[in-house]
Amino acid sequence: MTSFTCDESVSLCEGNMMEVCGSTDSCLREFGCEQSLLSRPDGSASFVQGDTSVLAGVYGPAEVKVSKEIYDRATLEVLVQPKVGLPTVKERSQEQCVRETCEASLLLTLHPRSSLTLVLQVLHDDGSLLSCSLNAACMALMDAGLPMSCLFCGVTCAIDADGRIITDPTAAQEKESRALLTFAVDSTERKVLMSSTRGSFSVHELQQCIAVSQKASEKIFQFYRDSVRRRYSKTL
Amino acid sequence: MRRRRSRRRVNACEAGFPNSVEMFSRLKNKVGEVLLPGDEFCFDTDDTISLTESVKAEKVVCGPGLRRSGDRLVVCKSGVLRHKQPNVFWMDAQQKRYVPAKGETVIGIVTTKSGDVFKVDFGGSEQASLSYLAFEGATKRNRPNVQVGDLVFAQFLIANKDMEPELVCIDGSGRANGMGVFGAGGLLFMVSLGLVRRLLAPGSEIMSDLSQLFPCELVVGMNGRLWVKASSIQRTLIVSNLLQSCENMTATQRRELFKRVAQGAL
Amino acid sequence: MKDTLLSNCERDFLLKAIEEKKRLDGRQTYDYRKIKITFGTDYGCCYVDLGKTRVMAQVSCELVAPKENRPNEGIMFFNIELSPLASPIFEQGRQSELSVKLNRQLERCLRNSKCIDTESLCVVSGEKVWQIRVDVHMLNHDGNLMDAASIAAITALCHFRRPDIAVQGEEVTVYSPEERDPIALSIYHMPISVSFSFFQQGTYLLVDPCEREERVMDGLLMIAMNKHREICSVQSSGGIMLLKEQVLRCSKIASVKVSEITELISKALENDKKARKAGGRCGFAESLPQERITALKMDEMPVEVTDVTEQAYDIIQKTKEPPQTVPSPLVPAPGVGQVDQGQQNTWGLEEEEEEREDGVEEEAVMEVEQQKEEESKGNIVEISDSEEEEVIILHPETPDTLHKSSCHQQGSATSKKKHKK
Repeated sequence: MTSFTCDESVSLCEGNMMEVCGSTDSCLREFGCEQSLLSRPDGSASFVQGDTSVLAGVYGPAEVKVSKEIYDRATLEVLVQPKVGLPTVKERSQEQCVRETCEASLLLTLHPRSSLTLVLQVLHDDGSLLSCSLNAACMALMDAGLPMSCLFCGVTCAIDADGRIITDPTAAQEKESRALLTFAVDSTERKVLMSSTRGSFSVHELQQCIAVSQKASEKIFQFYRDSVRRRYSKTL
Repeated sequence: MRRRRSRRRVNACEAGFPNSVEMFSRLKNKVGEVLLPGDEFCFDTDDTISLTESVKAEKVVCGPGLRRSGDRLVVCKSGVLRHKQPNVFWMDAQQKRYVPAKGETVIGIVTTKSGDVFKVDFGGSEQASLSYLAFEGATKRNRPNVQVGDLVFAQFLIANKDMEPELVCIDGSGRANGMGVFGAGGLLFMVSLGLVRRLLAPGSEIMSDLSQLFPCELVVGMNGRLWVKASSIQRTLIVSNLLQSCENMTATQRRELFKRVAQGAL
Repeated sequence: MKDTLLSNCERDFLLKAIEEKKRLDGRQTYDYRKIKITFGTDYGCCYVDLGKTRVMAQVSCELVAPKENRPNEGIMFFNIELSPLASPIFEQGRQSELSVKLNRQLERCLRNSKCIDTESLCVVSGEKVWQIRVDVHMLNHDGNLMDAASIAAITALCHFRRPDIAVQGEEVTVYSPEERDPIALSIYHMPISVSFSFFQQGTYLLVDPCEREERVMDGLLMIAMNKHREICSVQSSGGIMLLKEQVLRCSKIASVKVSEITELISKALENDKKARKAGGRCGFAESLPQERITALKMDEMPVEVTDVTEQAYDIIQKTKEPPQTVPSPLVPAPGVGQVDQGQQNTWGLEEEEEEREDGVEEEAVMEVEQQKEEESKGNIVEISDSEEEEVIILHPETPDTLHKSSCHQQGSATSKKKHKK
């Protein structure tokens, strides 16, 4: 599925390369974040991207159930709470995506035999929900002061019918898109920690989306830095 | 397996880098700045290693939030980089959850009595054990009077991520040294660990501001628990609310608030 | 996760303070904490902050078949979700005693009080009615979840708009909000729950208890009432015996509180309506507090993507094509297809090759590495938890040193292999 179509797709993309460069409307919607807004969790953050918003809370390192105890590292549990009804398969798969990303960046071996619980409450879904969840999760983990080897952020790209890449799509744009790709990008080397895709796309488009995500991630990491700086501005 | 001798706290790791003079200045340049996990201090080791003359490596002590990874020093917590003479560096973060460290004093709640030990909740990931012999003057016959639900002020004898933490209420010479079971009265409340460290810092401004307000007893546990007792319930409440509101305030804002309280309450 | 034990010291202090008519946050006996109502982007979404307690309610609707005994009535469904976000003691997917109690009280407060006209929710009698579902999520637990949940639920119901429908014979058409304006529910009155906690066998009473007050209270009385002073439900729990006068006094206090809260809700609804009419942005994104030190917001910004296409092109150019060896299926027996079995295994060979490559690289750097190792051995002193005594410690090796040493081993092992060859 990959290699033998490579040449074809490249030549195909070369055709609209000009178009891509000329009319890419890649932009991130306005985004915002508030840290430690809840009193009970050890770390909490709400992240807003356009109208999409997610609230994240972290408990831990805390007491772990014997059945879930791991002798050499912390047990990380991620729960996604939908707005309406009970969690379904969709939420479960999101949980897994977020958990794997967090496990890659957290230094879990520093807190063996303890539990970390990350709860994500969807406040509003207007597209790019997974990337918003990832960003909220990262901010909450940072707020909880858990040791991390690097930060991460999520970027969603949609490829529409004309092959154009739209970053941070809204729900309407997601619906019209041919493919939807979400990447988690790490802060040190801009490597892809996790990817979740839907729909069909060529290798070239995949690489293009990764490159766009890496570009977009820089803005988000800068935002992380700005908001943490603002937070500590009074204790400098 | 290594053999070593040490006199300092846990959570610290010393790192000696071949050209640590350069690293030292790089670290020092960043003191007081906000850093995020993943930020690193890199040292180009390959071009400056001299094989003939022994490089005098200056040691750098890394506290919480800094980790050594190969020839790099990596930040793993978001916060402000702090420095203490001569060579101690650490990250100052505002977090809520306590992770025990040897030698630190905390306020714990006795949750169960089982055999020879009390189990103490100190807000960490597991309960600490406290032997009934670890009180001043305690013997097998003369057990300390501690009930479930009592508060104790104790010090960590063992605090290791792989072992059950152990608390004691005596110092090395068997003296209480201010530790032990709390008397009646007073109020227990929680603040962030960052605020606790600011309170305990030598010459803390918050403490001196507070002491000018009115006399009160204050016990500060490194685990974010504070215990306050003043002459009346009203005053105890005032002190607790003042300390909780100090979290995100500049010095001038705080002084303004304390002044208002002093005028209103006295 | 277990909750931390309440210490004797806190218990004694709280009771003593209540005797002196003092509360932890400086409130008076009959004061509510600050109530803040915000709305989400879509209809029927409402956030309520009651001091530090925070809940969210979301109303949704669906066309379903009615209940057999009530063919002309819509269905109301309430669900209070005690999310583990609110408190570590709440577990996901488990019906705790508290959640049953809260759900029951909310149903009695809102469904059994007949505050919503369920008959207007009927579409085709006996066949199709609207089911209105109210999900209440607890986001932060600092006491008095019930009052916060009841305010959030009734406000969300008032705010909710269901899609317009048209019935033609058997056919039901549901219009999207773009086609026809959605319709609000018809609500007769707004019941609001007010909680009273009792201490010392009912001697002392507090309105709107916070979490620590709830933990030392003897009993709880919840009165649901509307602004017309009609009591919709009364529930007493905790097993204290109350006098008639006490209950009457509570209902009087409740009537005052309810009228205040109703006023606040209608004001919030009106503000939201105005904002929506003006076409401005509304919802959670706009309610993000700007003045707080912990909050930051960025405006929409473009992402620089000029060199992205070339970059992607480069990557693809650089990557080698994977070998297009499709293992030829062997047919060991008629009717059985098998892929890649019984063929020669190439794994062991490849591994060795890789190792050799590693070894060459390793050797080149080995000298330097060794040098480093020696030097660093002398310099790294990881301080452990012994104080002024010599102790042999089983030192947990950091991943890095582990990696390094294993590399070395591999390197030396392969070099040995080479010698042999």
